[in-house]
Amino acid sequence: MHQRQAVIERIRRVSAGVQRLELAVEPPQRALSGGQFFLARTTATYDPYLREAWLPVALNDKTIVVERPTRYQYLPNQVVDLLGPLGKPFPLRNSARALLLIAYEAAPSIFLLMLQSALARNSAATLVLIGQAQQYPLEALPSALEVIRAEHYETWAERAQHIAWADQIFAVAPPPYDLPAYMRLLEDAQRVRHAVSAELLYGIFQPPMPCGIGACQACLVRLQNGDEVPACTEGMAFDLTRVNLLQSLADSAGA
Amino acid sequence: MLEITTGKMTLRLSPPVMGASGAFGFAGEYGKLIDLSTLGALVTNPISLRARRAATGARVVPLDSGVLIHTGLPNGGIYKMHRQYAAKWRASPIPVIVHLIGTPEDLAECAAFLDQQAEIAAIELGINDALTAREVRAMVARVRAQTQLPLLAKLPLYQAVNLAAAAADGGANALVIAAPPRGTARDPLSGQLVGGRVYGPWLKPLAVRIVGQLAPRLSIPIIGCGGIHHPDDARDFFEAGARAVQLDSVVWARPEMVIAIAKAFSGGELTRAAGALADEWRPLGEPAERRTTLIPAPPPPHVPSPPEI
Ligand code: FES
Repeated sequence: MHQRQAVIERIRRVSAGVQRLELAVEPPQRALSGGQFFLARTTATYDPYLREAWLPVALNDKTIVVERPTRYQYLPNQVVDLLGPLGKPFPLRNSARALLLIAYEAAPSIFLLMLQSALARNSAATLVLIGQAQQYPLEALPSALEVIRAEHYETWAERAQHIAWADQIFAVAPPPYDLPAYMRLLEDAQRVRHAVSAELLYGIFQPPMPCGIGACQACLVRLQNGDEVPACTEGMAFDLTRVNLLQSLADSAGA
Repeated sequence: MLEITTGKMTLRLSPPVMGASGAFGFAGEYGKLIDLSTLGALVTNPISLRARRAATGARVVPLDSGVLIHTGLPNGGIYKMHRQYAAKWRASPIPVIVHLIGTPEDLAECAAFLDQQAEIAAIELGINDALTAREVRAMVARVRAQTQLPLLAKLPLYQAVNLAAAAADGGANALVIAAPPRGTARDPLSGQLVGGRVYGPWLKPLAVRIVGQLAPRLSIPIIGCGGIHHPDDARDFFEAGARAVQLDSVVWARPEMVIAIAKAFSGGELTRAAGALADEWRPLGEPAERRTTLIPAPPPPHVPSPPEI
């Protein structure tokens, strides 16, 4: 856990909606794995007040690359204050040869760093882009990746086969779509695979995170055993068989 | 430094700068990032008699220059929380103050239990803004009867003026003014209105005004809280009559400022201008302009004009 200044060395517009920032960071902040993230402050003022969650998509010798929507404006040489790396690395199994990644109404940026390691060890990976996620620029994705696009979850062709064949599945959906999307996916997996073992199916929880350190309790995820744990320190990926999706969904419907 | 004494117990706040409830966690979560020993004390997140679940739905709404948060005050209940954190509280380099919430009966039971725990330095009561002055007096008195520990009462911002005397009469040893006020804002993600506590720098003038109104009227110390993001903000509270301050959301926005603020009131000096007050040193990275607005520049030394050519 570090709070350090980083410098934006390069800004590359990847598409109309996506830009990549190359940041010169100090070594402790380059020690990170896929799934970890930063909370960034870009201004000396308190507007915006909360830090932005920045997702690294590539690591270089002295820099890291993060992806941001183009509606945010940055300048070369701009100094930013980075808190992190935060969260836990995605629990990618060594034995996972077929990886299924699902981006539901969200950019798949969060998968890209993990994908580097998965593809480097010759795992096969399929990425499903659903809804708004289809607008993500395909040229920004590794060429070894199989990409499937679907307007809706229901129109995702061969969904059952993809879910049945995967050795590990990671899904990302932004709040408030996350709980219903993960519930539907878990139900599908239970139907297609009969039993969903632990460490097979992960949902990524990305609520707004004021502190990122487990102190403010604004990002708690409810587990089956009754515990509530911060997504910022224990996530962002949670084994969906451990999350109390049913109760969380029922509660948020009544909230 | 502020000392709050009750019977044989003394809470020594040195420096008079604390981490506020709701911002710093239950037991030094921020110790991974900042040196908590620079603070005078740490107030835990709210703890109730029985376990409480996290709120559902949207819990964080970003605001212009602030944030609204609705956590539901989740905690495992006093006994479980004590089992979970007692060792960390015991090892804490600074006094640990437990922030309690609940009904008068619940608070009394929690206080009686905490009274027996050596690692607890004081209790802070979260005063609900729906209570009348009479109820506050009775509630604080009921808790007071259960414990010798120093008792702080954290008052709601908009009722602080009406409730302060009642809390003091009930036996509070100090008042914290104020808890973050409640607000309602639309969550941009779900489109729903969300109610919660509001944080941000703009709270400071509201809280400073109330501290200024109450300080001359009360015989117990006031601890200022709300919107402090800079040593100058804390100075404003002290000038208004506060004897100590609590920091809350600044630790999320700029954790390094917590240290800067604590050091500003610990007698430590980094850079001190000639003629500056003892607590005025410029924290690292602090823009010089802000200081110059506070400290008049010394008159330029008399230099004879060069001869005209
Ligand atoms: S963001 Fe504060 S606990 Fe996770």
